[in-house]
Amino acid sequence: MSRTIIFVLLFLQQDPRQIVEEAQRRTTSQSQRYEGTLEVIDAKSKISEKRWQYDRIGSHGSSKSVLRFTAPAEVKGVALLVMNHPDRSSDQWMWTPAINRERRIALQDRSTRFFGTDFSFEDLEERDTNQFDYTLLGEEPVDGASCWKIESKPKQTKVSQYTHSILWVRKDNYAVGQIDNYNKEQLVRHAKYSDIRNVQGIWTAHQIEMRDVKRNSRTILKIDKLQYNLPMKDDAFTLQALRRES
Amino acid sequence: MWGKRYSPGLSRWAALVYSPGLSRGAALECSPGRKPGVSVRLNEAAPEGRKILEILSPLRGLKSKRISTPGLRPGLHSNAAPRLNPGLYTNAAQRLNPRLHSNAAPRLILVLLLGAATCAAQGYTQRGFLENRATLYPQKAPNDRAKAVGESLFRYEAFYQPSTALQFNGSIDFRLDTHHQVDRDLKLSWQDREQKRPTGEIRRLSAMYHNGPVTFEAGKQFIRWGKTDIVTPTDRFAPRDFLTVVDNDFLAITAARLTLEKGANTLDLVWSPRLTPSRIPLPDQRWAVPPGLPPGVSLRDAGVTFPGGPQSGVRWNHTGAIEYALSLYQGFNHLPSLDAVPRFTPSGIQVDVSRFYPKMLMAGGDIAIPTRWLTIKGEAAHFSSSDLRADEFALYVIQVERQAGEWFFVGGYAGEAVTREGTQAADFAPDRGLTKTLLGRAGYTIDANRSIAFESAIRQDGDGTWTKFEYSQAFGQHWRATANFTLIRGDVGDFLGQYRRNSHAILVVRYSF
Repeated sequence: MSRTIIFVLLFLQQDPRQIVEEAQRRTTSQSQRYEGTLEVIDAKSKISEKRWQYDRIGSHGSSKSVLRFTAPAEVKGVALLVMNHPDRSSDQWMWTPAINRERRIALQDRSTRFFGTDFSFEDLEERDTNQFDYTLLGEEPVDGASCWKIESKPKQTKVSQYTHSILWVRKDNYAVGQIDNYNKEQLVRHAKYSDIRNVQGIWTAHQIEMRDVKRNSRTILKIDKLQYNLPMKDDAFTLQALRRES
Repeated sequence: MWGKRYSPGLSRWAALVYSPGLSRGAALECSPGRKPGVSVRLNEAAPEGRKILEILSPLRGLKSKRISTPGLRPGLHSNAAPRLNPGLYTNAAQRLNPRLHSNAAPRLILVLLLGAATCAAQGYTQRGFLENRATLYPQKAPNDRAKAVGESLFRYEAFYQPSTALQFNGSIDFRLDTHHQVDRDLKLSWQDREQKRPTGEIRRLSAMYHNGPVTFEAGKQFIRWGKTDIVTPTDRFAPRDFLTVVDNDFLAITAARLTLEKGANTLDLVWSPRLTPSRIPLPDQRWAVPPGLPPGVSLRDAGVTFPGGPQSGVRWNHTGAIEYALSLYQGFNHLPSLDAVPRFTPSGIQVDVSRFYPKMLMAGGDIAIPTRWLTIKGEAAHFSSSDLRADEFALYVIQVERQAGEWFFVGGYAGEAVTREGTQAADFAPDRGLTKTLLGRAGYTIDANRSIAFESAIRQDGDGTWTKFEYSQAFGQHWRATANFTLIRGDVGDFLGQYRRNSHAILVVRYSF
């Protein structure tokens, strides 16, 4: 009942912040785990594949996540720890088992491609609505689904490679259907969310295609074995945890 | 008079012969830290990883010095007098390399394989690779006529987690080569005290317990401290295999490690029952530049004295907007110092050269400051010793790094200040040797499978340069080929320049699983 009321109110008011907050609320969970398969397709259509396991505890601005490569063999064990903060940019560390050391990913390095994929380090952060300002640009369908088209601009406290992004939020389930990331007026990365399924009450895209416009390459992330609200411990999301599971 | 005239030189020659890769120039100039080395090897095959790794891992170098009060004549009273008695320092028994003997090796392998099979369930992960490497030297070295060296390395790593609190880690290496850098006997080494690389080696074998903020690991393990890459003064539990100068690798140590983590603070306590020394290059190979000895003078390896007793250390690390750490280490230098004892013999002068590992107390810290454009990293430590033969000194490093698009840049400078001169003849000290050199690296990731890198080291005085170009490409999910070309130029008296004959090309083919 309350969801219906909120939906009606949002539909009438069309406050972009409320739309995004509702989208965020609907994807809130205590934890998340999936196995991801990445296909990196370069400009010459050459394909390379990588796999990782993703664990997250908490949600959005207060979440922590560990992403650990499981394939190809030469990067097996390489891991990324992301600690998101509600009021500032995330902290990120990369663990490399070959040298038994972690390295902090500096803010100025976040625009770099993550391990040869078309995702940048920043793209692996969880976005928090409090770190952005929103403007409703209108409505536009994505894959036949009616969507709100919303512009988000990072606040001053948020360091970002993107000057602004445009989000398409589906009206039927508040799932994000597409994101275009811009640097000034130039489109930098285009993310397309598809194969959206309801898992444990959360509408989740099982395929994310990230396209690097400048390089004309793309990476397709396919999500498998997705689970929410698994029991996880905080101490599995620390620098020591990175080292432990090398 | 004769002794006064020549003995300092003798000690220098000894250093050159017994500290392969050590600088002729270093000996001549007698200034510690004047002879840096350059490490070039990246310990990871992935081009993406390469960018984020130890970009310029510390190499080896030499600090050698004159004997201030040399005495060739028995009975001479001087600081060098104790060194005149070879028996005081050389104990052949201590040269024995403790290791598991051959009959234990098959058993251990069997246990590992059976363990792997039975543990092949959830909680068991493994990885490894088979690597073949060919090194081509266009020029012969005076003490090494080989122009091509072939090496093979098989590495298997396994991790078993029977419960969330407990984890077992194991890793084993098997090697072969064409150049006798690898021992020909099939043995499985644990202690890593051999001069040559062992055929088989337990690279890591440890049990780890974890509960809340506490992590405890015991066994053979890798421990890395510090933040900088060019030289890491506080990285005292990380001996290396320096057998091949430009391609060194870390050695694990036997230790117990307790880590307490609370919020942004981590306290690391380490205790190691015995020293694992760094492996230094072999005296009869090209990275040991032979000295020109005058007629009638010969050198003799008087062996090595491994110290007894444990090492321990504590490190507090804080990870905030700025990361910093303070560390304290008490134990032994894993890099050897050299004593040279000249003696008259019927056939001339014989210089007995022995290696020892002086006591060391290190107090240091490291810091990483991310700024808008660069990440600045610094590390400094002071080393003191109760052993009067050893120098007391401070090392400091400053480096900057930046990643921009597909490019990665790192560069820096390391310095040294000697606070007390010891009485030893020479040191094999790559960390000190790397001082007074500017180093830089640029890497570019072409695509998900290919990368190139360019590295260079230029001596502060411009007397020596080292340049390396590397191309790496992955094929499919398992194969990677890497080719690199290294050019070394400089004056014959310079640390880098002395290796002019060692410019080389390397081709590496690795199958990872």
